[in-house]
Amino acid sequence: MDFSLSNEQRSWQMQARKFAEEQIKPISLDLDEAPDAHGTFNWDIVEKGSKLGFRTLAVPKEYGGEGTDYVTQALVMAELARGDSAISKTFSQNWKWSHLIAQACNPEQKERFLRPFVADHRFLLGKGITEPTAGSDNRMPPGDAPKAGLKLRAERQGDEWILNGEKCFIANAPVGKLFFIDARTDPNAPLRQGTTMFLVPRDTPGFRIGKVFNKSGWRFYRNGEMIFENARVPHANVVGHVNNSDMKTQAAGDRTGGDIFGDLELAANALGVCDDACEAAMRHAKTATQGGRPLFEQQLVQLKINKMHMWTEALRSLVMRVAWEHDHKVHSANAGLAMNLSTDVIQEVTELNLEIHVGAGGNALRHAEKLVRDGFIWSHLAGDTVQRLKVAARLAKMAAH
Amino acid sequence: MYNLHLSPEQLEFRDTVRSFVNDEVKPVTLKADRLDLADRTLPVDVLRKASQMGLRTLALPEDLGGVGADALTCCIVIEELAVGDTDFAAVLAETAALSLRLFPAMTTEQGDRFLQKFLEDDDYHLACAEREPDAETALGVNYHRSGGAERRIATTATRSGNDFIINGVKDHVANAPLAKLIAVEAQTDKGPALILVPCDTPGLSVTDRPGPRWHHGTSGRIELKDCRVPAGNLLTLGGAPDTGRAIPLNEAVNIGIGRAAYEAAVEYAQLRVQGGRPIAQHQAIGTKLADIAIRLDVARTVVWRAAWAADHPDAFADRSLPDLPLSTIAKVTTTEAVYRATKDAAECFGAMGVMRDMPLQKYIHDARVCLYSGDGAADDRLRIAEAVTQFRRGAPMLAAE
Repeated sequence: MDFSLSNEQRSWQMQARKFAEEQIKPISLDLDEAPDAHGTFNWDIVEKGSKLGFRTLAVPKEYGGEGTDYVTQALVMAELARGDSAISKTFSQNWKWSHLIAQACNPEQKERFLRPFVADHRFLLGKGITEPTAGSDNRMPPGDAPKAGLKLRAERQGDEWILNGEKCFIANAPVGKLFFIDARTDPNAPLRQGTTMFLVPRDTPGFRIGKVFNKSGWRFYRNGEMIFENARVPHANVVGHVNNSDMKTQAAGDRTGGDIFGDLELAANALGVCDDACEAAMRHAKTATQGGRPLFEQQLVQLKINKMHMWTEALRSLVMRVAWEHDHKVHSANAGLAMNLSTDVIQEVTELNLEIHVGAGGNALRHAEKLVRDGFIWSHLAGDTVQRLKVAARLAKMAAH
Repeated sequence: MYNLHLSPEQLEFRDTVRSFVNDEVKPVTLKADRLDLADRTLPVDVLRKASQMGLRTLALPEDLGGVGADALTCCIVIEELAVGDTDFAAVLAETAALSLRLFPAMTTEQGDRFLQKFLEDDDYHLACAEREPDAETALGVNYHRSGGAERRIATTATRSGNDFIINGVKDHVANAPLAKLIAVEAQTDKGPALILVPCDTPGLSVTDRPGPRWHHGTSGRIELKDCRVPAGNLLTLGGAPDTGRAIPLNEAVNIGIGRAAYEAAVEYAQLRVQGGRPIAQHQAIGTKLADIAIRLDVARTVVWRAAWAADHPDAFADRSLPDLPLSTIAKVTTTEAVYRATKDAAECFGAMGVMRDMPLQKYIHDARVCLYSGDGAADDRLRIAEAVTQFRRGAPMLAAE
């Protein structure tokens, strides 16, 4: 076993840490508290991060990206999340879909979409899956209800597809320039056999962005509605094959039914938030006093700090192992397990941090409270029962082989 | 003898208040813009309506013109109110608790000056200004130590002819921005005392606390600069209240928050269809609803028992009840149970659970404030630990002391 990082991995980690400390942290709390959902975003930080390579970290070098490995990606996500979890996610959301472009798009599509993405510091990517009546049904299509799942309809007309319907909660929708859209191309087939993935540029006629969702956590991260009214998408924008949209997992070469980047992503991001919480807790415990003595002198505070670090280091071990396994093409359900674990850990650790801050005010309380709100986002992304059942299903499938 | 029947009056109270909350409170407080934590303006019109129903004078003894509800009935009513709105219930809970503490202690002359106004004015609320800025209230390092017992009161009340001149600053004063009568704790030449200060006394000002809002109801900082009140405003109290056995009104507010989340989740889980059936019919969600029900039922039982104990202090003497701080136990049980319950309830809503125009994120936030404010559950546990070992502050710990 070898836990050491290469010079290149270490260098990316340090660069991300510096950027988080100097650029992200100073703006994080104020953006988080902007009263409406439109005031929480900041293009400046996106551009600055993009110039350092954080937007294109996962794009292969031959297309002008950074071509980093999964270990580096995990390190950078955690370091950026240490500054602000939602800002980290805004960057890594692009990596998720650059993996997809690199692995699932044909050479013509790569030229057409990857090049402009790399060239433009404000080019963000998104993927539209969720719809008002289809959330869990997309993640885990029920065998006994074949029509369940997304309803957005795509019908072929000559060289074009006509899309009608809507998507909701779509990440980067209000700020993205290019989206992968899952649409039903065979309404009579079950989800996995009747859905096709399309590349839809923002300026597609008939396609527009609706409301921007105002969330209680991850406020920098934009989630929006997408509305398709006879939106016209060229056939050349079909990703992979018609009626076979499950490219996200297949293209990544994963045979366990997981989303190998996405699962790692949430776990690595949580790790950064936990690091931030541990640091804040220790700082507060050593500087704040009660009865004239530092809080840290109290057993109860020490026990909380112990537990925070215990869970954080356990998560770090699993996150880095999963990243290493991805780089070595070891396929397992571990990424999913890491994602599930990260929900429990981020919530436990940020809540312990808030508990240590009981009685504090000002920025220390604002920060501790923000981390708990951000941590709760994991409940519906990474740790809801569907996400846990999915991983159990993967384990069962692997056990059968 | 063991009797869990509510009286016909208690049942009627509950039904009446429940209808009032459904008809008059929820339509105001569940509006999308009011669910956003950025806007927590107090629903004063609803408060006034509640007063017209007698809910402001709920706890005040009948012989003083109040409703004279016992502690258990007050908890039942406050829970119902909090199902409609936390802040609104917290204001009424504070006024109820203080009406019971202040008015029975008043002289006839004080009663003539303040009680009549309190009874007549639907906007007349009460506050008690005890805590001072940077005052330490936690037990913390003084756990099982004889130190830390003496409280230093910096606010002074100096006699000047027939008046007191009061100077000082008080912080975290619940109801302060709303109260028409404020009982101010100040150091007199005869020791600490509560002095009645009408809100329009020259020299008294109420301001918002700086920093994040971290309380329920309404709260503020009170500054007293050469505030002159008649010496006759001195209130004679029979010693400090035993907080370990106080009426658990704040805990009733907390239960109300949990119940609002519970009711929302039970309703939604039967409407929302995923996986081919309403999500309540999936084991994973069904047991989540069960867990919420278990937590709330246990917490309510503990709260009601503490309330019943407040109504029957003789039950400690005759050994029907254990010699424990039952209200502190109720607080720890409730804050932890309700926070978990609101998180579980929000999880049933998926992403809707974090949207700021939806109620679930508000319930979680409100439960979080209950759990992580004051000195926190950890400190409450220290107080319970001292009680179970019958530690008495001031008594020597070791023979050598």
